[in-house]
Amino acid sequence: MEEKIRQLTQACSEEISAAGSENALYAVRVKYLGKNGLISDLMKGMKDLTPQQRPVMGKLVNDARSALETEFTEKGNQLHEAELAQKLAAEKIDITINKGRSVGKLHPLNAVRKRLVDFFVSMGFEVMDGPEVETDYYNFEALNVPKDHPARDMQDTFFLGGNLLLRSQTSASQVRYMEDHKPPLKMISPGRVFRNDDDATHSPVFHQLEGLVVDKGITMCDLKGILDSFAKHFFGSDTKVRFRPSYFPFTEPSVEVDVSCSMCHGKGCKICKGTGWIEILGAGIVNRKVLKICGIDPDEYTGFAFGFGIDRIANIIHSIPHIKLLYENDIRFLEQF
Amino acid sequence: MKLPINWLKEYAAIGNASPEEIAEALLRVGFEVEEIIYAGAEIENVVVAKVIDCKPHTNSDHLHVCMVDNGKEILQIVCGAPNVHTGDVVPCALSGAKLPGGIMIKPGELRGVMSYGMLCSGKELGVDDTIIEGAEVDGLLQLPKDTPLGTDIRKIIGLDEYVLDVSVTANRPDCQSIIGLAREVAASMDVKFTPPVNKYKVVEYENEFMPDVKIESDLCSRYTGRLIRDVKIERSPEWMARRLRLVGIRSINNIVDITNYVLIETGQPLHSFDIRFINKGIIVRTAEKGEKITALDGKEYYLADDMLVIADTKKPVAIAGIMGGEYSGIMSDTETVFLEAARFDRRSIRVTSRKLGLRSDSSARYEKGVDYESVDEGRERALALVYKLKVGKIVDIRSDAGIDRPKQKIIETSASQICSIIGIDIPIKAIERILNALDIETEIKSKTDKLICTIPLRREDIEDFADLSEEVIRYYGYDNLEPTFLKTAACTIGGESEKDKLINGLKNVLCGMGAYEMMSYSFITEKAGDMMLLDRNDSRRRCIKLLNPLGEDTSMMRTQLTHNALSAAALNLSRGNERFRLYEIGRVYIPIEDGKQPEERTHLSITYSGSDETFYTIKNTVNAALEYFGVNTVLKYSAQPYLHPGISADILLDGEIIGSYGEVHPTVMENYGISAKVYCAEIDLEPLLKTGEHVAKYKVISRFPCVNRDLAVVVKDECSVGELLDTIHCACGNDLESVELFDIYKGEQIESGYKSVAFALKFRSCEKTLVDSDIQKLTESAIKMLSERNGAKLR
Repeated sequence: MEEKIRQLTQACSEEISAAGSENALYAVRVKYLGKNGLISDLMKGMKDLTPQQRPVMGKLVNDARSALETEFTEKGNQLHEAELAQKLAAEKIDITINKGRSVGKLHPLNAVRKRLVDFFVSMGFEVMDGPEVETDYYNFEALNVPKDHPARDMQDTFFLGGNLLLRSQTSASQVRYMEDHKPPLKMISPGRVFRNDDDATHSPVFHQLEGLVVDKGITMCDLKGILDSFAKHFFGSDTKVRFRPSYFPFTEPSVEVDVSCSMCHGKGCKICKGTGWIEILGAGIVNRKVLKICGIDPDEYTGFAFGFGIDRIANIIHSIPHIKLLYENDIRFLEQF
Repeated sequence: MKLPINWLKEYAAIGNASPEEIAEALLRVGFEVEEIIYAGAEIENVVVAKVIDCKPHTNSDHLHVCMVDNGKEILQIVCGAPNVHTGDVVPCALSGAKLPGGIMIKPGELRGVMSYGMLCSGKELGVDDTIIEGAEVDGLLQLPKDTPLGTDIRKIIGLDEYVLDVSVTANRPDCQSIIGLAREVAASMDVKFTPPVNKYKVVEYENEFMPDVKIESDLCSRYTGRLIRDVKIERSPEWMARRLRLVGIRSINNIVDITNYVLIETGQPLHSFDIRFINKGIIVRTAEKGEKITALDGKEYYLADDMLVIADTKKPVAIAGIMGGEYSGIMSDTETVFLEAARFDRRSIRVTSRKLGLRSDSSARYEKGVDYESVDEGRERALALVYKLKVGKIVDIRSDAGIDRPKQKIIETSASQICSIIGIDIPIKAIERILNALDIETEIKSKTDKLICTIPLRREDIEDFADLSEEVIRYYGYDNLEPTFLKTAACTIGGESEKDKLINGLKNVLCGMGAYEMMSYSFITEKAGDMMLLDRNDSRRRCIKLLNPLGEDTSMMRTQLTHNALSAAALNLSRGNERFRLYEIGRVYIPIEDGKQPEERTHLSITYSGSDETFYTIKNTVNAALEYFGVNTVLKYSAQPYLHPGISADILLDGEIIGSYGEVHPTVMENYGISAKVYCAEIDLEPLLKTGEHVAKYKVISRFPCVNRDLAVVVKDECSVGELLDTIHCACGNDLESVELFDIYKGEQIESGYKSVAFALKFRSCEKTLVDSDIQKLTESAIKMLSERNGAKLR
């Protein structure tokens, strides 16, 4: 009997080791440990033993059974893991395939506009919006450009009949803002402007951002301070700002503002046409006449105003060679930014 | 404004400063130099050479084979000119030379003989007799025999010159002149400025005819006339013709050239009349109704009663400041000249010039503004030139009218006031020095910081201390400003408007749906309404028209975004971009009343194309946008003419259509040249933007288990899923957590004209665990209501 137990245990062990799948292992289990399995049969043979032998043999059979159970569990785990690993390996996919669509993007102009707005809002500027179809008064007259003034030749305006025109500059918003708000004022007005100009470097529709500060004691030095930090923020911390005298009817003194070329760092390149400087905006101290027209006492308050082309800034930042590309809406262009 | 450097040198002691240095000096003080032009740029490698041997070509009856000495080497050149002889000194274009008109000279064989260059005529060098004597002969330009061989021909014909193209701002008409700019250059470079000294002798008045001048319109504030007798109309000296050429003016004759020369030099337009054609007197007046004049350009102009003319007692003889009459100008036999120097209102000249479509150098100058000072300066300069060039005799008689010289403006200010807007302290002495250099006489009130400034008449732009601040900082240098950060300003709260914030958020949603933002012009074509098949009475056809559009395609202000969206779709498809999602948020311009500003409304357009796009993909994006605003909208089939009638929807908010979307109508696709299916949407955002930011409120999340049931019913084909869903919701009430369509089936086992629709229902109560009997009751009531309302049968 003892020998039989040993033989069966050994044979079972060998079959466990040989089992190649969970199913095969289960069959072995049924063969030996099942209800009518070989080990169970041993228990049935117990009745032929003497009462003295029974507990001894019973223990031997039980020990063998529990030893085999452990072996089954271990082997079972082993097989399970191997089979899972195989299954997972078989499920491997090609991760380089792309499905579905990508997220869209803002138009490069509006992405830049948003950055500009965020910058000025962080300094306490309110964002203001004005009508694009303007009256002659807000676009010209109130900005110190009377009818038939040569300064009107500076901008080719689209006319709509009567007093109406398409605003040629976001400065038109200045007056509207000052009519409704009293100093201290800090305002920017980004928006669409129109000029009757259509060639390689001009688009009849483009975008400007107007800025206005009116308070006590505002000076050209404040203008320089704000524009310095603006230029550094947008074109890099080593950017220099240069003021050149110029003329705008609604500012006095007036300046054109250049920044050092961020491409060549002032050495001269195609972008800056070899000068090392890129003209980016016009600015100045708000003309006393304009303040008066808006009901603000020029002896008490001074202010500065500036305005620049958003299209131009976007083109500089992204090295876009032609302004027209911005309005074609070729998806291959829009996907780039 | 063209500024030849050698002309500038006459008045500003700039020495040997390079064109770049002068350009930099101008830029510093506010005059941008757009271009540094080398006048001889069109000619290269053309030198003076001597013909040392000249033999007839053996194989030609008109060509000559010449040996030519250019000072460095002897070249064989074949020449076809009739006037070539041994010993001639002529211009010679060497191998690799450039001539006007882009002509390049290369060695080549002419009838079997090699030619290593070309001998040139005056015409080939682009010159005529006014520039160099003999330029118009038939054949080579013969140069003086003692001309050094090898000399660059550009030196000989006056083209070895630099010209700056200066952009003069509109506030400085006084700098539309050589002298005006010389004053600025001299001050900027800190060198001496010497205005011209105009000296001439007059002859006694001999009672000859001299017209009286009367001004009858306030559009002329000053008119002066002088008489020049014994005039001999001739060619001008070469130096004058050459200078005029540098600024783009062709030489005509001595009198006309002097008036043009003075216009450029002093900025004062002048006009010369042949006295024979003036009847009795000169009257400066506005034209009478119906009056007309034939101008120097040979064209007849009808004059309006707001146009200023120079008339004699019978007829207008000139359109004031713009152009003279054809029959009163200078002729080859003119003997006595009446020379006009006047100041006309710049607005009037501008308006008249525009109305007549007639521009001249004179009108261009008057439009910018001519001051009192320049009337005298220009006239005196012209008379001095008449005297110097012996053109005629200046008679000691004047016909002047109007204000001679108004009082000069005096501005009392102080150093601290001037500096108050600049932001740095500039020493009062520096201020005084700068202003005086600009001819603004400045006096410091002793022991104060007060300044008394006398403004020259030519500086009509200077009105108050701010203008003086500009003059000071312009010359003191903007580089001296110390950047400050609004140190005296109050703190303010900035930010975007609620509307902008909502639009930013909407853009995030749309980008998240895979759509790219596009931007189109605000203009559309007049044909847009037809292309989109809009009804004749459709309000979107009522657009504001541009009076001066760039072209027909951009002649109206858009009233909808769809036209530009479809155009963008067509462009992309034509370029082979077959898959795209685009959106635009932009303004449309809705006319309200003639002459009033239109209503500018913000619209959204969405445009999808690609093999995987369907009505439902664009619907999904539209719904995402609507959901962002948190509004409840209703759908119905759309009647938009540009959309497919069966594959399009209108969006209704509170019963009003706020937008439509769907597949583009095939006829419209054809109209736009669209080659693949395109889905588009346009929504008026205004009502949505008014709803404000959507703030969601918490709803209880049930902790009880859910029960899923499927339900399939057979309904008529035309019954919509939306109706069935409504019914199911209505029947099941709050215990129905969700219901989703999962199948629509037509075909075998289903009667034709019917379809089977299957839904997955999920039940869950907030109050208890639903048991079988609850679910049973709920599904039964759904089935019952579906049958009653929608004629559905359980499948």
